[in-house]
Amino acid sequence: MMNKEPKLTKEMFEPIQQQFHEAEKISRPSLSYWKDAWLRLKENKLAMLGLMIIIVLAILAIIGPYLNGYTFYEQDFTKKNLRPNAEHWFGTDSSGRDLFTRAWYGARISLFIGLMAALIDFTVGVIYGGISGARGGKIDNFMMRVAEILYAIPYLLVVILIMVVLEKIQRGIWPIIIAMTITGWIPMARLVRGQVLQLKEYEFVQAARAMGASTTWALKKHMIPNTMGPILVNVTLTVPTAIFTEATLSFLGLGIPAPQASWGTMANDALGSILIGNFYQLFIPAFLISLTMFAFNVFGDGLRDALDPRLRK
Amino acid sequence: MLIYSLKRIGLALLTLWIIITLTFVLMHSIPGNPFAQEGTMPDAIYENLQRYYNLDKPLLVQYGLYLQSLLQLDFGPSLKSSSISVNEYIKNGFPISLHLGTQALFIAITFGLIFGVVASLYRNRWPDYLSMILAIIGISVPNFILATFLINYFAVEWKLFPVATWKSWSHTILPSIALAMMPMAYIARLMRSSMLEVMNQDYILTAKSKGLANSTIIIKHAIRNAILPVVTVLGILIANLVTGSFIIENIFGIPGMGEMFVKSIFNRDYPVILGSTIFYSAILIFLILIVDLAYTWIDPRIKISEGKK
Amino acid sequence: MKPLLQIKDLHVSFMSYGGEVQAVRGVSFDVNKGETVAIVGESGCGKSVTAKAIMKLLPTPQAQIKSGEILLNEENLVTKKEKQMQKIRGNDIGMIFQDPMTSLNPTSKIGSQIAEGLMKHHKIGRKAALDTAISMLDLVGIPLPEKRIHQYPHEFSGGMRQRAMIAIALACRPKLLIADEPTTALDVTIQAQIIKLMKELQQKMETSIILITHDLGIVAEMCDRVIVMYAGQVAETGTLQEIFSNPSHPYTKGLIKSIPRLDMNPKEKLSPIIGTPPDLLDPPKGCSFFPRCEYAMRVCKDHAPGIESISGTQRSACWLHHTMNELATKS
Repeated sequence: MMNKEPKLTKEMFEPIQQQFHEAEKISRPSLSYWKDAWLRLKENKLAMLGLMIIIVLAILAIIGPYLNGYTFYEQDFTKKNLRPNAEHWFGTDSSGRDLFTRAWYGARISLFIGLMAALIDFTVGVIYGGISGARGGKIDNFMMRVAEILYAIPYLLVVILIMVVLEKIQRGIWPIIIAMTITGWIPMARLVRGQVLQLKEYEFVQAARAMGASTTWALKKHMIPNTMGPILVNVTLTVPTAIFTEATLSFLGLGIPAPQASWGTMANDALGSILIGNFYQLFIPAFLISLTMFAFNVFGDGLRDALDPRLRK
Repeated sequence: MLIYSLKRIGLALLTLWIIITLTFVLMHSIPGNPFAQEGTMPDAIYENLQRYYNLDKPLLVQYGLYLQSLLQLDFGPSLKSSSISVNEYIKNGFPISLHLGTQALFIAITFGLIFGVVASLYRNRWPDYLSMILAIIGISVPNFILATFLINYFAVEWKLFPVATWKSWSHTILPSIALAMMPMAYIARLMRSSMLEVMNQDYILTAKSKGLANSTIIIKHAIRNAILPVVTVLGILIANLVTGSFIIENIFGIPGMGEMFVKSIFNRDYPVILGSTIFYSAILIFLILIVDLAYTWIDPRIKISEGKK
Repeated sequence: MKPLLQIKDLHVSFMSYGGEVQAVRGVSFDVNKGETVAIVGESGCGKSVTAKAIMKLLPTPQAQIKSGEILLNEENLVTKKEKQMQKIRGNDIGMIFQDPMTSLNPTSKIGSQIAEGLMKHHKIGRKAALDTAISMLDLVGIPLPEKRIHQYPHEFSGGMRQRAMIAIALACRPKLLIADEPTTALDVTIQAQIIKLMKELQQKMETSIILITHDLGIVAEMCDRVIVMYAGQVAETGTLQEIFSNPSHPYTKGLIKSIPRLDMNPKEKLSPIIGTPPDLLDPPKGCSFFPRCEYAMRVCKDHAPGIESISGTQRSACWLHHTMNELATKS
């Protein structure tokens, strides 16, 4: 298909002076890694929904127990097993306690346990993995062997065992957190160590060191910003595991003692009632546990996709 | 290949020994001596404990003799019953738990792979969205919660399945589904992302350039490579299945090992907790070892490079 | 004699995040039986996209052939359905790719990878196909082929893997072989071996070859004709001799000039072409090379040149060779 030739004149064939430097202009602006990641994350509707849910749950955990007049421990046997109504928005349990207040009080406990366990796993993991990776050689080998063996012990069994021992000493939130973090830090340590090892080899670290920077400075300025991605994702995804483990412990009777409540213990308490048709008592904590796990999982997924450098636009 | 296998087996045995030792130490450090004869403990039980645990001897000797008993596959007596020992529980409960676990594993692998592959082939269309939403729910809803839902609706209200116990084949369906959901969801998500990554590889383009049919490319070239990461996590998933079975058996009233273990926790039956923990650990370590060795056998890159060493 | 392959005014675009990227903008050329044609150009000029378009291996739905014809033995491939293309790929046209390390299925034996095409296109059984696989491996110069067919790709070296790829591509004796930068990822010494192998095979099997590369050295070793592409269009075509000794398009001139020569004065500076290719999201209306061209004229800025013949076999898309310019310079 021939283009129609334009009207040609002799003048058009005169040479033109060229300004060559213009051709080197970069055509499109580029974004920094974090800005690009944040933009992509915002686009991910599901992940944003997860974030929204987490924020709402956090707010309700703080103010929820004060919203109606009841406390989480008042028992009133004349009002037991009431379906949700105008006074008791989530109904009452078999001891007549207000389930709405208990649900948000339980939110505090379950969320606190989940976040604290994730935080401790993160801290211990980063330190252990960072040292192991940075030192390398025999020390690294030894530290990783120890971690590997500890990790081979089935997680839930470890948690149960530790709980069974600790409960004689003290019951409450902290034994649970300790039991969960005794081996929970290992995946994070492995991750951090892997990242550190990778980065040690990277050219820009070697270049920085060639210019005289010390290992610590290199660690701070280069290694940490570059490893933050997968680490952040891992922390986010540790929370649902922790909440799940706490719920499981409660189901086994190893959870928080009464009258305190966590979602897990509420679900456990409700088990006895479902067969007489009080399903709502189980539904509420079960739904909240699942919703929280869903929100963190989905947000963690979105975070992972957003921080993946291969998906940059 | 052989050296690698031997190293792995050695590591597994070492791990098991450490677990046994740690558990032993933990049990004996529980405040208020759990093995002591309290006022209400029947003599028969105390005698059993004495005999097995040699409680009058020094701690180190107790430990040594304990190891000996374990080597003879004797896991010890119970605190709560004079006639039944851990071995009895294992003999009665293990086959049932094995049945439940295998069934759940089969469901998880089969449907997990199918959902994962389908989701990857119909990326960003409705089969993908549907599968992935189900998968997210699968990993977010704890299996015992799912179990109670299943019982409440499918068994109690709609009367499609029996509520509990383990009498007929239809009794096994709800518990297997409850147990399989989480691993199935995990496999589906993993398989999907693995397939997506594989389909982008150069060798898929080579396969297409040969004019092969789409089905051949998907099965022989894509799935064969995409499934490898799934095999690597199989060990962890099996471990999850086993620990998940504790509560599922409890909720459904299934007389398996898990139920016994949970009861012993409720009762603080320390000897049984001790013996069961060791038994479970041994089983899990063994299963994971098999999966690891199988993986090195399946992936040609590892098989041959190890062989050359 | 009619050409084996005729590409007529091909337009290929990619629908991207930012808009429509016109990767191929009106490319036309022929490939005759038994000849080797090189497509050269810098990264992003559209040569690889053209090659994949011939096989219809472009990623759908992002990539689309917007218009044009691709005639293989006078059958238009553009209108063919996928099932029909599957009969042609591997059978009438074979393709080899750039990176031998990633272009072979790591979990499938080499023999099997050669045999599958044979079994599908020639409808022979597995045993016969594997026998042919052995002879193909022998043909491409791999020793002990009976053992090698049972091995996996990672047991082959880089050069051997590329040979295996050639064996796979040629197994069904296609009339046309498309080689997309086959030596770019290899060591220089291995490069020479592969080129030599391809020349031998071409003689034996009388295959036409389209060689895509940015390395003019290889072009000089192997090719009969050269097609120079720039910014999704054909800048110049000609025989090997014509392109190297009488480059006519300013871009081609720049390419030839930029090749370092052994007889250069060591103090002499290298002469690269200044600037970068245009953004194909918003292609220029005039000549694509205009911003970088030292021969630019007024007409070049807003008007795209047509294809001007310089000889029976050499053509250039440049206003310099338009009759009006020849008139203008004569006066």
